[in-house]
Amino acid sequence: MSERWRLLQTGFNNAFMNMAIDKAILHANSKGFIPPTVRFYGWKPPAISIGYFQSLEEEVDIDACKRFGVDYVRRITGGGAVFHEHELTYSIVIPESHPEIPKNIMDSYGRICGALMKGLKHLGIESEYVPINDIVVKGKKISGNAQTRKMQRVLQHGTILLDVDVDKMFSLLRVPNEKIKDKLIADVKERVTSIKHVLGKTIAFNVVVEAMKKGFEEEFQVELIDGELTLEEKKLAKKFEKEIFSNREWNHRR
Amino acid sequence: MQSKSVYKVPNGKLLKIFLDYNEKNDSINTIRITGDFFAYPEEAIEIIENELKGEVLDKRKLAEKINKIVTKQGIKFIGLDAEGLAEGIVLCKHE
Repeated sequence: MSERWRLLQTGFNNAFMNMAIDKAILHANSKGFIPPTVRFYGWKPPAISIGYFQSLEEEVDIDACKRFGVDYVRRITGGGAVFHEHELTYSIVIPESHPEIPKNIMDSYGRICGALMKGLKHLGIESEYVPINDIVVKGKKISGNAQTRKMQRVLQHGTILLDVDVDKMFSLLRVPNEKIKDKLIADVKERVTSIKHVLGKTIAFNVVVEAMKKGFEEEFQVELIDGELTLEEKKLAKKFEKEIFSNREWNHRR
Repeated sequence: MQSKSVYKVPNGKLLKIFLDYNEKNDSINTIRITGDFFAYPEEAIEIIENELKGEVLDKRKLAEKINKIVTKQGIKFIGLDAEGLAEGIVLCKHE
């Protein structure tokens, strides 16, 4: 019988709660309360997340975010700024010692991205993993991923773009030089794609979730069993939302 | 003197460094290392920033110092390395 992991579908939450839930799962898993967990989620309102090492003011046009009703949050993972709007986000939390997880960080990115690639294949999309942390379709990025390792656990989260609005994205992210903004936008349009662009039609969030679920089950030879956040995780998530992710000091720390 | 550099690490990520340094002896007062790279553990970046205070803006010496910290703290970089970081730091220096 294959190993059973927990599947969480937490729906749409704000940026602070989304990041708090991932961190809460990490903490709970490190205490041994819960099995390896795969989570699928969305963002409401839309939000920008920035990497742990990024400077908020350098990357994000805060006034524009306020005008558009877009939240912003600093992640506990490194990597770049992401505009979360029309996408499916996943996270996986698993012990570093799990036999399915390579010790080498780069190898483990590849392995987890393998699950997403299998998921995309179920939607009829052939994709490729491009180190460090991207999945591309015909050379264009469709998924970005970021991993941290804490408390002997691996947390990786990432996005699968359902659709993309590069113009809106660039009105929220800062560019180093306004004069070359148009060229930058044109470049990014050349380098980024989405499920809708590849297939020429909109695929519903839940359909993509089902495909990704199968992708994880196949890649790791496990069964994902529908579950819920435990009471302990919910408590932790509320605490992290309040004390960390919605906290100005955290978000503006760099 | 406050300064900033933007440097794409070869085969790596985009590094943005904010530096305050003493123009008289080219030594670092404070430094903030930002960018879309990865470092494990993440908190180690603050250790690097603290330990670089007082260091001279010399690429070779900075790379050596960073490598020492990396070894001592067991830091793993992805999309960044000591040489790239040193290069980004000295780029802040105004000629």
